[in-house]
Amino acid sequence: MGVAGVASEATEPTTGTGRLRRKRLTPWLFVAPCLIVILLVTIFPTIYSLGLSFTKWEVTLQEKPFIGLGNYIALFQDDRFLHSILITLIVVVVGVGIELILGFSLAQLLVADMKGKRIIVAALLLPVMVMPVVVGYTWRLLWDAQYGPINQIIGWIIGEPFTYTWLAKTPTAIFAILVTDIWQWTPFMFLVFLSGLAVLDPEVFEAADIDGAGGWDKFWQLTIPLMRPIIIVALLIRGLDALKFFDIIFTLSGGGPGNSTETISFYIYQVGYQFFRLGYGAAAAFVLLIFLAVLLTFLLRMFRSATEG
Amino acid sequence: MSTKNTKMLGLLLIVGLALMVLAAQCGAAATPEVVEKVVTVEVEVEKEVEKVVTVEVEKEVSTGGSSSERAVEAAKELCDGVELNYVREAGLQAQDPLAMAPIWKDLTGSTVNVIEMSYLDMYSNQLQDHLTGGGSYDVVDVSPLWMQDFVNAGVLEPLDPYMEKYMNMADLEDYLPVYSSEGVMKINGVTYGLFDDGDVFMLYYRKDLFEDPEHQEEFKAEYGYDLVPPETREQMFDAAEFFTNKYAPDLYGLAMQRLEGQAYSWFIGPFSGAGGQFFDEDMKAQINSEIGVQTLTEMVQQNTVMPPGVEKWGFMEVLSSWMEGKTAMVITWPPIGRWGAGYGDTAKQMSWVPASTVKGKVGYMLQPGGRPTLAGGFNIGVSSDGANKECAYLFAQWMTSPDISLQRVMLPFALRDPYRISHFESPLYRSAWPEAPEYLDKLQEATTGQWELGIPGAREYMEAIDNAVTAAYAGKDPQEAMDEAAARWDDITERLGVDSQKAAFEQWQQNPWNRTGPEVDIP
Repeated sequence: MGVAGVASEATEPTTGTGRLRRKRLTPWLFVAPCLIVILLVTIFPTIYSLGLSFTKWEVTLQEKPFIGLGNYIALFQDDRFLHSILITLIVVVVGVGIELILGFSLAQLLVADMKGKRIIVAALLLPVMVMPVVVGYTWRLLWDAQYGPINQIIGWIIGEPFTYTWLAKTPTAIFAILVTDIWQWTPFMFLVFLSGLAVLDPEVFEAADIDGAGGWDKFWQLTIPLMRPIIIVALLIRGLDALKFFDIIFTLSGGGPGNSTETISFYIYQVGYQFFRLGYGAAAAFVLLIFLAVLLTFLLRMFRSATEG
Repeated sequence: MSTKNTKMLGLLLIVGLALMVLAAQCGAAATPEVVEKVVTVEVEVEKEVEKVVTVEVEKEVSTGGSSSERAVEAAKELCDGVELNYVREAGLQAQDPLAMAPIWKDLTGSTVNVIEMSYLDMYSNQLQDHLTGGGSYDVVDVSPLWMQDFVNAGVLEPLDPYMEKYMNMADLEDYLPVYSSEGVMKINGVTYGLFDDGDVFMLYYRKDLFEDPEHQEEFKAEYGYDLVPPETREQMFDAAEFFTNKYAPDLYGLAMQRLEGQAYSWFIGPFSGAGGQFFDEDMKAQINSEIGVQTLTEMVQQNTVMPPGVEKWGFMEVLSSWMEGKTAMVITWPPIGRWGAGYGDTAKQMSWVPASTVKGKVGYMLQPGGRPTLAGGFNIGVSSDGANKECAYLFAQWMTSPDISLQRVMLPFALRDPYRISHFESPLYRSAWPEAPEYLDKLQEATTGQWELGIPGAREYMEAIDNAVTAAYAGKDPQEAMDEAAARWDDITERLGVDSQKAAFEQWQQNPWNRTGPEVDIP
């Protein structure tokens, strides 16, 4: 600011303050519509749900008394809820883990130029573009005991009719759910890693070649460290998504047999929207939120250390 | 099917529909009436798959004393131009109101929009609409199982004032008592719904297989007694095992819906018939009693004589298997008995269902074990949040009135089953196919069945049984599965209040068809 400006502000303090205030307010005016919408559709429902989680809200009861942490305490004594946490963790750890390994392997395989690469990449990406509900119903048909192609193919291989009911037995139902999820989301991992591998500096690898590094050394000492931020971002996105895993459970197993394949999200849906135990459902939703926050913090910390490193 | 046979069947159906409308008029002739208007009702009938013919039936509408006429007269004055949103289960269930809504519009000027959703969503969406103050629905469809929850939540409008004002109260006497009593249409003596679907499980069996002398001889040699349509669960299992061993994989002895969601319905009847009790005097769950565990053990055992993968079979899989002649016996809802006999083969709405290969071979029996499950059923109710409650009620009254409801339960594609005395006695219905009298008589006999538990939290109680049943199918020990279900029942009871639940259970048990036991104590 020049001398003239200072003089002007000194001689016209009121006008200057007004301009300053306007200057400060203008950005707020621009973001106000967005803020109002966020407050209305996110912040308010969150606070309302938090309040709800401290009440005994049952559709058939006239009274909705405040019970403090009663719902939270009951949740951790509820075998069904604890089992749903276990199933969710299996999906996150095993499912996302296998997606990571398969996605990375495919990306490594296809990062180099090769004939027909575009068609292969496009074909590999198809599952991720399908709605999860459609995927669930489609795989339900594939796993069908009598008419499903999976049993048909196994039958051809072993030379006799094979009619195993995959979705009616707990271990194989979980297996079927994992296979379905891996089929759908491995392409996402593949795409992220392919983009990351494609932009790695080739000079680093050329230098390693000159130094006589082998393929395995280059993979562990160069590719993985250089790709670490991308791996963490991919894990972050898929991990958060898998913690909310619902659609495929709903369409494929319905949480059954019994309630052996219920995830946390499915359990919350059952409690909140099928039995209308809204207080208890809200408490379960907040526990899920805490899980998400912990995972997010952990992965972001890893991301920061990876990028700083 | 040959073209000649198809034409004959189409012709018979056309004549049947014309007679049906005439008979409906005859039914109303007992009261003085004045012919006021002639309305043309169009009914589409499909002949073979590609060819659609339109049949026009003239229907004389009269003023007078019947409930349908009173509803029409009042609606003409009050509801002209009014739009009503009516909830129905998606798919075939919705075809009946979709066929009837244009007729109601012609008669009264009121439009009915049919809102379709899945069976389980009907519970949650209708409740949710009320809880959020929505008012999206005017006419609601409520299973008796859910009535207590809906009444407690305030979803349903009491109907008694409307009934006194508009209904011919004599029509109430036309309901079978099993469908009009406490816990079904009424809660604590107040009417909240007009019953509209006589759902009850029946056993349908292949007469040709059971009557085959070769089968009878082989069966007797193997099991030591005559092969007869089964009356007990043991007879049913033996017969199923016999046919499965002999014909699988081309034909299996038995099929029932085992899919999670409504698997509990196949537990309730046998459990009650064997003398099982839901609760003791202190409202402690008794479903894990010896009878409960034995019932579940038998259900698991039955799966061994059913088609592979039956644990994931829903209504459609059972229907397809039966229509294609791949099953000797099925236990399911009444429509399969009609469709198996070929009634409905030519309806356009049924073109996606396999044509029946078992026409003339279908026999009807009660669900073995004493008490058939009164599985589901529906009341038509009026939403307390609706903007047009009176019109909604008038539409409900019209739909459930003796003459209109007879037409509806006789629609070839109907999923609504007979529930009025006049339905069972209708000469037209009894002549709809050769075995129709036998079908209707057995269906009426089956109404000595057992209702599913209809107290507050019923949806959750039933879900606990559902989980136990499907877990046992997956290999869990039946005793352990039922113990877990009983523990959940006790949790639900304690959560909702032992005293209030006990009071609700005692009130619910005032209806003889709600009390468990080998026989219903009909007053």
